[in-house]
Amino acid sequence: MMQSSPLNIRRAVIWIGRLVLAGIFLYAGYAKIFLPNMTPRPPIKLALSLFAMQVDSYRLLPPAGVNFVAHTLPFAEVALGLLLLIGWRLRIWATIVTAAMLGFLAAVVRSYAIGLQINCGCFANPEPLTIKTVFRDGLLAALAVIMTIFAFIEARKPHPWAAAEKASN
Amino acid sequence: MDRQREYVVTQEDRVNFRRVLAGSLFAVLCSLSCVLLANADLRQSVGGVSDIDFHKASGSKTAPIIMEVFSDFQCPACKSFYNGTNRQLMDNYVSTGKIFLIHRDFPLPLHAYSRVAARYARAAAEIGKFEPAEQVLFQNQEKWEQTGDVDGTVASVLSATEMAKVRALVKGGTLESVIDKDYALGQGYHVNQTPTSIIHSKGQTYPVVGVVSYDILKQFLDQLLSQR
Repeated sequence: MMQSSPLNIRRAVIWIGRLVLAGIFLYAGYAKIFLPNMTPRPPIKLALSLFAMQVDSYRLLPPAGVNFVAHTLPFAEVALGLLLLIGWRLRIWATIVTAAMLGFLAAVVRSYAIGLQINCGCFANPEPLTIKTVFRDGLLAALAVIMTIFAFIEARKPHPWAAAEKASN
Repeated sequence: MDRQREYVVTQEDRVNFRRVLAGSLFAVLCSLSCVLLANADLRQSVGGVSDIDFHKASGSKTAPIIMEVFSDFQCPACKSFYNGTNRQLMDNYVSTGKIFLIHRDFPLPLHAYSRVAARYARAAAEIGKFEPAEQVLFQNQEKWEQTGDVDGTVASVLSATEMAKVRALVKGGTLESVIDKDYALGQGYHVNQTPTSIIHSKGQTYPVVGVVSYDILKQFLDQLLSQR
């Protein structure tokens, strides 16, 4: 079986992907729940209702779907961010993060293509959905895909430290 | 006797002087209040929101929520917002005194006739006919955006006399500055798309960008109203 070096480029990409995506998911979830740019901070229920309006402006879901997404997505983002950082069962969480990123990208591309003049709703700040948003989400989705593929490849090889231990024994 | 006469004359002078003084003071106060009333009629502030043209606002000034809608008559999303959400909002929140709704002009430079339409709507507002003008402009948006016939569109809902007044106001050129003022207010809120609604409640400001369905907006407004 092939062995993986501790300085393997794939491992470096996985680490970068984990840190970048975990940071973004954690901040995105936190910003939606607590609206840090507002003083005084509104209650969480109100913040989620405000986010529901941003989800609704994408015109993709019926009201029940909008409410479900608005009340679960911010918490899911925080949980996924933490799980990516911890790295336990990485392949599962990396796959879910990739699916989420591809979903966000699809929504953003569709809205941009049909000319919807809306806010991205990605973070707490009102940020217009522009070609920049499409590129940024595209890059993050690509990073998530690469990270997940590399995580699966690396999982098929013995861990470099475990391999080194075996050799020394 | 002479002394007595002198004293009476001085007393009369004093009384005359007091009368003149009181008269001038009254005149100054009258003119000041006239000026204040004339200005107050057009642009005032309500609940911390300044520069409100009451011809383009609806609802109770004491409503717990103030909503400014930055809109462009040529923008399809604004039409969709007007036809869907805005109407239900007017029926259930504005007419019941829960929301004070302010229409703000935000004509986007990419639309050829939106500023012209804003001018006509403003002029109609000045003669108390904003609502029919707004309605006809949004309902016939696809027509006048092709032909540029904003004048004819507005004329279809106003009488000849009203239309003459509207045309005079549009030609007068005074409306441009008030439209620019609304636009500048929007830029102050970082508005760059239409429709954008700025919701004010209990000292907090919430921006809502794009077309939001009535059910979702209602949920947010009810939460705002239930806040203590």
